[in-house]
Amino acid sequence: MVLKINNVSKNFGGISALTDISFSINKGEIFGLIGPNGAGKTTMFNCITSIFPPSSGEILFLDENITGIKPHKITNKGICRTFQNIRLFSQMSVLENVLVGGHSQSHSGVFSGVFRTKSQRNEEEKLRSTARELLELVGLSEFEDAVAENLAYGQQRRLEIARALASDPKLLLLDEPAAGMNDTETADLYYLIKKVQERGVTTLLIEHDMPLVMRLCDRITVLNFGKKLAEGTPEEIQNNQEVIEAYLGSEGDDDIA
Amino acid sequence: MLGDLINPYYLQVGSFIMINIILGLSIYITLSSGQLSLGSAGFMGIGAYTSALLTINYDLPIIVGVIAGALVAGIIGILIGIPSLRLTGVYLAIATLGFGEVMRVFLVNWESVTKGSVGLSGIPQIGRELLKFSRDSGFSPMSIGLKNNQFVYLMVLLILVIINILLIWFLIRQNKSRVGRAFAAIKMDEKAAEAMGINITYYKVLSFAQGAILSGFAGALFAHVMGYISPADFSYHRAVDILIYAVFGGSEVIWGSIFGAAFMTLLPEVLRFISEYRYLIYGLVLVLMMAFRPQGIIDVPLLQKLHLTKRRSKHGSKN
Amino acid sequence: MLLEQIINGITLGSIYAIVALGFTLVFGVLGIINMAHGEIFMFGAFIGVTVTSTLGLPIWMAFLAAIAATAILGYLLEQFALRPLRGKKGVSHLAPLISTIGVSIFLENLSHHLFGAGNHPFKSSFAEIHYTIGSITIYLVQILIFVISVILMIALSYWLSKTKAGKALRATAENLETASILGVNTKQIITLTVIIASAMGGIAGILVGMAFNSVNPQMGLSIGLKGLAIIILGGMGNVKGAMAGGLILGLAETFIVAYGDSGYRDAIAFIAIIVILLIRPQGLFGKKTSEGRP
Ligand SMILES: Nc1ncnc2c1ncn2[C@@H]1O[C@H](COP(=O)(O)OP(=O)(O)O)[C@@H](O)[C@H]1O
Ligand SMILES: [Mg+2]
Repeated sequence: MVLKINNVSKNFGGISALTDISFSINKGEIFGLIGPNGAGKTTMFNCITSIFPPSSGEILFLDENITGIKPHKITNKGICRTFQNIRLFSQMSVLENVLVGGHSQSHSGVFSGVFRTKSQRNEEEKLRSTARELLELVGLSEFEDAVAENLAYGQQRRLEIARALASDPKLLLLDEPAAGMNDTETADLYYLIKKVQERGVTTLLIEHDMPLVMRLCDRITVLNFGKKLAEGTPEEIQNNQEVIEAYLGSEGDDDIA
Repeated sequence: MLGDLINPYYLQVGSFIMINIILGLSIYITLSSGQLSLGSAGFMGIGAYTSALLTINYDLPIIVGVIAGALVAGIIGILIGIPSLRLTGVYLAIATLGFGEVMRVFLVNWESVTKGSVGLSGIPQIGRELLKFSRDSGFSPMSIGLKNNQFVYLMVLLILVIINILLIWFLIRQNKSRVGRAFAAIKMDEKAAEAMGINITYYKVLSFAQGAILSGFAGALFAHVMGYISPADFSYHRAVDILIYAVFGGSEVIWGSIFGAAFMTLLPEVLRFISEYRYLIYGLVLVLMMAFRPQGIIDVPLLQKLHLTKRRSKHGSKN
Repeated sequence: MLLEQIINGITLGSIYAIVALGFTLVFGVLGIINMAHGEIFMFGAFIGVTVTSTLGLPIWMAFLAAIAATAILGYLLEQFALRPLRGKKGVSHLAPLISTIGVSIFLENLSHHLFGAGNHPFKSSFAEIHYTIGSITIYLVQILIFVISVILMIALSYWLSKTKAGKALRATAENLETASILGVNTKQIITLTVIIASAMGGIAGILVGMAFNSVNPQMGLSIGLKGLAIIILGGMGNVKGAMAGGLILGLAETFIVAYGDSGYRDAIAFIAIIVILLIRPQGLFGKKTSEGRP
């Protein structure tokens, strides 16, 4: 088991964004986390990556309790994420963004960086070739010198994925990667996530594009108003009465199936 | 011949420009990780007093004093930085500003050591020491056609220029490395940087301490160029001077604060009448820059136009 | 003796509290530190000196003139130093800080040129009135300062919680966007906030002039720094905290002057800041947010 969420709750003042959520993800799975807007999906990501700690409950990664440890340590342990509202380093080049993503995979400090020791040069060389390979994977090779904020929306989302992959994660958290993408881009995204799976990376996916979720995911957990509504295979979820109602009750853009 | 060309006054202005560039670099390096420190004047004072006292009271060589001054400033920088970093940038600005004031209060009041507001005089001067050294080794400035004071000022300027070149080289190299990328990432988006595995506390303290070390270093050099210092040299106004270097010159690229420091040091020398209204003008400059050109005069597009950098993309990090 | 020191401390603390309230108000609504607040305060003090000592007019005229002048300064500050930065893309959170530092430097040196550098006595026969009870001397000005500061604080609290404008102000403070969606004229509210905060600075300026019989261009920096220290001490944007923080600092300073080394008086505020940041970063009265960062 890669990730195990045990009875996690999160309150903001009076609002409880998550109530007693548990689920676990197996190695190599693509695991879906769906639910209407405001259901608490992003909050779950924020708890896992320690943007803030959960109010109660615990989070186990590869059987190790990682609840509330510093965010950068979580990344070092092998969890990396993308953000729903894109958070690239907007004035850096595309390649630099991915290089920063490789921070946890490198070690050079002030002096080796300034005096360019042999090991530093090797490390930098390796970071760059990995970064270029990842840009190739997400289809952004030709833009490596472009400034990140000048990329189109869908490209920025893919760059976020490449940046996250640069940390060589065992578990990748994707927060609405298809948001703002057109049909071709979404189709490409399907293959991209599949390719990531082939690399042995486990993926936890938040997504509103139901056809994509249903095709990609091995299992899905549904949240509604911070509570777990259902869990199961795509088929089970599509046929779950409660889930259908929850989606019908919310705005139209979250059509299931 | 050579002697006629060299005006000691210009050489001295040149030396001040070099020292102020180091101060400009100190605020640049802290800003490069997105932190505003208003404590540069305080750290400068620590460096200056540490080095002056060590060389006066214990007869240590100037170079030892200067290094000690920079290190003490750096250590105090770490002590100030860590608690302030627990909160947002605004707290750091206030805490450092307050720190500067506390430093001044201590310098004024700790009379038995610092001689209070009168300050320290008789600090060993780099120029004089060099002259003594060259005499001892049998070299006379006259042999290259220079008067003693011309030789002294020229040597001081040369040394400072070399120091500046080394420092700028160091910082540019650092910018292009993993550490520089971490600084830039933190400046652009702290949360995202953290999510990429960057230990933001470590890098923020690192850049803050580097700034403090540079300020302390500049302060120590200042003491040994001037020969006398007093708490007034390290007041809030000095902190504003230093802030202006980066804000006016440009805070996003290293050349910005270098240009700012040089320009703002020359300006009152060239336009004498300005000196009386200097801080009125500085005040307006700060307000206007924030409204119309918050990145300062020199920014990346301007450098590209001037072809001073290769297309930024080529080498990654801005420098 | 002790009682007299306590009275002195409360007087000083009340003034600090009014200054800190000005910072708090602006921080609460705009989320920025107005570094020029101390200098606006200093200008108020100079207006007081000019009206009473130079023109020989009564003290209430000085109050009116100082309030008017500092309110105008507040308006200009908002128009020229703050508004241009608001809502602009790519402006760093440091921009308003730097811009208001610019205003503070400008005002300090403007007053150098207008009023001269040295100390200006605050000549007012009013400041001489005092009462002796047993061995204790208490000045009317001290009582006045305390009363004014309490009135200001109560008025501000009432205004914030009860009146329509105050509610709009608090809505703005909670969330600028939501407030404007709810139909609050945020632009007007922001301007009003800066004006009120500045006028409070002006009042504090006159009170200080009367209490210490001395006004100079540098006082803005020193008082401004203490105001900043107090809002960190009391919790950013917290009205009660500003008041309590002001009194604590005023008493602490008075006692160190009376029983310790007066030279270090100005250092207390900042040693307090560092200690607070270390042990209770949200301030003495601030609420801890879930992320620990306001
Ligand atoms: N940092 C926060 N502070 C306060 N409330 C928050 C915060 N983050 C999320 N919330 C609230 O928690 C609930 C769940 O939000 P979120 O996790 O973003 O939903 P989703 O990603 O499923 O659309 C919402 O009501 C939201 O307003
Ligand atoms: Mg979300």
